[in-house]
Amino acid sequence: MTYRFLEHTGEVELELEAPSEEALFAEALAALLELTAGGETGEPERRDLVLAAADRSLLLADWLAELALLAELEQFVAERVVTLELDDLRLSATVEGRRGEPPHLVKAVTLSGLNVRQEGESWRGHVVLDV
Amino acid sequence: MSFSTSDLTRLGDTLWEIPVGARADMRVPARVFADAELLEAILGDRSLEQLQNVATLPGVVDAALAMPDIHQGYGFPVGGVAATELPDGVISPGGVGYDINCGVRLLVLPLTVEEIGARVEPLVHELSRAIPAGMGRGGALELDDAGLNGVLQNGSRELLQLAIGTDEDVERTESGGCLPGADPAAVSERARLRGRRQLGTLGSGNHFVELQVVARVDDPATAEAFGLALGRLTVLIHSGSRGLGHQVCTDYVRLMDAAREGYGIQLPDRQLACAPASSPEGRAYLSAMACAANFAFGNRQAIAHAVREAVARVLGRDVARATRQVYDVAHNVAKVERYGGRDLCVHRKGATRAFPAGSPDIPEAYRAVGQPVFVPGSMGTASYVLAGEPASLERSFGTTCHGAGRAMSRTGARKRISGADLRRQLEAQGIVVRCPSNRGLAEEAPFAYKDVERVVDVVARAGLARKVAQLRPLGVVKG
Repeated sequence: MTYRFLEHTGEVELELEAPSEEALFAEALAALLELTAGGETGEPERRDLVLAAADRSLLLADWLAELALLAELEQFVAERVVTLELDDLRLSATVEGRRGEPPHLVKAVTLSGLNVRQEGESWRGHVVLDV
Repeated sequence: MSFSTSDLTRLGDTLWEIPVGARADMRVPARVFADAELLEAILGDRSLEQLQNVATLPGVVDAALAMPDIHQGYGFPVGGVAATELPDGVISPGGVGYDINCGVRLLVLPLTVEEIGARVEPLVHELSRAIPAGMGRGGALELDDAGLNGVLQNGSRELLQLAIGTDEDVERTESGGCLPGADPAAVSERARLRGRRQLGTLGSGNHFVELQVVARVDDPATAEAFGLALGRLTVLIHSGSRGLGHQVCTDYVRLMDAAREGYGIQLPDRQLACAPASSPEGRAYLSAMACAANFAFGNRQAIAHAVREAVARVLGRDVARATRQVYDVAHNVAKVERYGGRDLCVHRKGATRAFPAGSPDIPEAYRAVGQPVFVPGSMGTASYVLAGEPASLERSFGTTCHGAGRAMSRTGARKRISGADLRRQLEAQGIVVRCPSNRGLAEEAPFAYKDVERVVDVVARAGLARKVAQLRPLGVVKG
């Protein structure tokens, strides 16, 4: 499993790879954590998320957007996936994290080059975040 | 696709074109204002490919345009301008961007750099205490439903009821601080939730409040009309519509992504999602975008109020009362404007309206000299005050550049310098820095941007705007 940030002049471009689609979504959370972590304190808390989208790529965008929104509105930084189920075009997940002082704003998840696809045994994803 | 200079036709001293035939889906040519050196930098990322994508939009007229500060964005490049002919040309939320009406407001203090003396650092410190910065933080103003609706509908003027700002501030704001057609019902509950506690907050990324000194005057008569003189102190505010605007864009990109097939629209980049401006989706977006733009005007007005309060505490109430607003301009917005007998929807994404002298759309006080334009440099470099010129109407839909323009990724900037080292470098240059995040500071390092002097030289040579004054930074509060 891996994620990496690509060179992008204006924004943050993220490439993901994982052995399963569920793991791909967990990698996306890990990448977002690298952007939003900072000053987390206190006991771990959990949040349940239920999402539905018109296609898998949009589901990835919604997943990241929801996590970014938790950071913006509640200063809740999701640190790990506890459970995550994908069923057709629905996602149900429980994430664990702590409240902190997220230093980096992710304004939005764009549709530019947005992609989730299976290549052989791997799942790959691509997304550009507006920061 | 990557480009080289040979792929472009030089149309003049500062204008280059990718012809309409370069790609089968282009409806108009793509044109870039740049000199040879800036063009080399522009060729280093995918911004010209994105500009070609813009040239495919249904209803686009004349040319997809790029200002010299263009860089790669998403959908539209940053620094991109495109006009579509109404009623059936499209409106693209991605052509405005997530930070709807991100823009800049310039205040001028009744003091010189000599008169403020050793109080620069206390003032910058007080500004950092007075203006909430960083991610999603609540601000000085918490609005109930009625209050939020008032700001969404009426923009800057609504805040006058709370004794925030003055009539003159409102008059000296693009579009009088209020875009018409705003309908709060077009704004989602989630957008309202994100905006409710963010009026008067700076945000993060490249947003800032900068204390500056007028270091050079290029056009004394226009500078005088703008209230600027050599040595005078200014404060430049850069912020936008915060989470409310981000969510409006998110909501309508999704709506149009779902609707575009119904209109038979094919696009090379999903982020360009669009619909005819006259369609239900197009009209709803324009109403919601106007709300977000009005929120942004209100946000900068509330920040300006906090600046005046900080000035009052450090320099005295009389200085605060005499601190005047020069103007406030939008960088990310779509507006209906008339060119050559056509009603056009002009998308400006990281670009500034630059109407010339005589335009009825600029304040009477500036009508003899042209609309003020502010071009922030990067931290540690100068910013510029320009004035709109007549050629902007003929060549760029009344538009000029909006900043220096990024030349390096945020990751690249962080690899080259740490936030702590940059802080020390800036302070060694005599610039007071207040920033909650070393990472955020490093990402905005001056070397990550193009040479702002070269950018303003290009728009001046192209006749889009003329130089009025140069502003040198004394202190910066970063989001």
